[in-house]
Amino acid sequence: MIGAVPGSVIVAGVAFAIAIGAFMLIPLLVVIASSLSGSEFLVFPPRNLSFKWYAEVLQSDAYLAAGWTSLKLAFITVLASLSLGTAAAIALARFAIPGRALLSSLFLSPLILPSLIFAIGLLMVFSSYADGPSFTGLVVGHTVITLPYVIRTVTANLADMDPHLDEAARMMGARWWQRYWLVILPQCRTGMAAGAFFVFNISFDDAVVALFMRAPDVETLPMRIYSTLEFSPDPSVAAVSTIMIGMTVVLVLLLNRVFGLSRIM
Amino acid sequence: MTRRDRPPLREPAVLIAPGLLFLLAAFMFPAVHMLAQSLFTVGADPARITLEHYAKFVADDFYLGVALRTFRLALIITLCCVVLGFPLAVIIARTRGAVRTGLIILIVLPLMTSVVIRTFGWLVILGPGGLLSLSLESSGLIDRPLSLMHTETGIVIAMVQVLLPFLVLTTLGSLSQISPTLDEAARVMGAGFFRAVWHVTLPLSVPGLVSGSLLVFALSISSFITPTLVGGVRLPVMAGSIYQQMTGSFDWGFGAALSVILLAATMVVIVPYLAMTSRAGGRS
Repeated sequence: MIGAVPGSVIVAGVAFAIAIGAFMLIPLLVVIASSLSGSEFLVFPPRNLSFKWYAEVLQSDAYLAAGWTSLKLAFITVLASLSLGTAAAIALARFAIPGRALLSSLFLSPLILPSLIFAIGLLMVFSSYADGPSFTGLVVGHTVITLPYVIRTVTANLADMDPHLDEAARMMGARWWQRYWLVILPQCRTGMAAGAFFVFNISFDDAVVALFMRAPDVETLPMRIYSTLEFSPDPSVAAVSTIMIGMTVVLVLLLNRVFGLSRIM
Repeated sequence: MTRRDRPPLREPAVLIAPGLLFLLAAFMFPAVHMLAQSLFTVGADPARITLEHYAKFVADDFYLGVALRTFRLALIITLCCVVLGFPLAVIIARTRGAVRTGLIILIVLPLMTSVVIRTFGWLVILGPGGLLSLSLESSGLIDRPLSLMHTETGIVIAMVQVLLPFLVLTTLGSLSQISPTLDEAARVMGAGFFRAVWHVTLPLSVPGLVSGSLLVFALSISSFITPTLVGGVRLPVMAGSIYQQMTGSFDWGFGAALSVILLAATMVVIVPYLAMTSRAGGRS
């Protein structure tokens, strides 16, 4: 058959894909395996399997507090980023505003500036004009770095929707809140949901902005994992990391189920 | 005044204003503040404009060495990502259904896992008595335990795993815009499989491949978590030194100058990247 891929190439391709797959997954698998260790030290392969480090983590005030901070941070960031981002995306997608191209590159620019550079600027601003880094500072930082994702998903979503529905509602005499609540926001629903997944994931996993905006009384899970790795890693870090990997697996499978990964990535 | 007489710009202005003001205050202002900080003396009152922080960078061989290492590593990492990522993107582009979804999950799952956790995995693999050392020893390839911790090889291996998804996804974006009939045409005209890949698929995927590599390069010179944890204090890179200046020695003027140099280097690759993606239809 013309156009067919030679058998040897298929075999090589499958072998290559398996090798790369292994390379991509091995760091995660190693972390999961290390968390099941029964010994006091981080060793691989783990000896005498046990779940005792999970019990340890669930009884550790430091890990629980960090987990709670991370969850709180991610949820507030989702709310802030969705409200600012959805409104801006509607304006960019539905209205002929002057300088639209410039505005939309401005809204996407946090994707391009390395988050390290942005984090330093934010640290300087919070130290000069506020009482130094704080939880609020982290929310601000995470909202900035996640805003482009909401803009992108909601704009893409609105491009697939019928703009005439809104015009029809307007002509039928719908008030502005009726148009937004009954027509426009329901049209943005898919984009907002996909955006929320990304925002939650980025905020929950971020260590770069968090490490620069390190406040004495605020510690997120990635910050805690980083400082433990720097000084004294023990299998409890592996247990916490495994729980976070589990959350990511659930999130990725949900994203795939609801939106189809090949479509949105 | 009836609703229809409203100026047409009021509605989008109300929608966009909160986000715009937020970005100006929380993103643009800090970025400008950081640039300005690199040009002012620290501690002196009133602060004077100075180039002393930049002079310190140029005068100190140590930091020039750090910058050179950062660029060398970023080049090697980008090259490895292209060599591994392009074939994988071609494979993904030619699969359908469950296999395609599976392969994309394989790329996206590590991407969405915290960099701290992936680096942790590499510490366990590359460290003394780690998985790599054990498997090489048991296969008889080496006779003494091997550690790639605190080596540039170790940094490259871990960073390629961290950044490969960006290259694969960007390249996949431009591969899926290539009409499959072009490849078929080449084959009908008598080109073999490799000839068709070399003369049709590869040239048409160049925009995606180039923008993917520029992205990987830019991300690579500005990452500090993986190089710092794997490389340790013996192999500092730019971003790690900046972190050290900002949070360890509190020399913010010098930290800002290092960041501006890093930013300038990033811009050199990011501006062509933006030009390419906007021509390719805005997909990044």
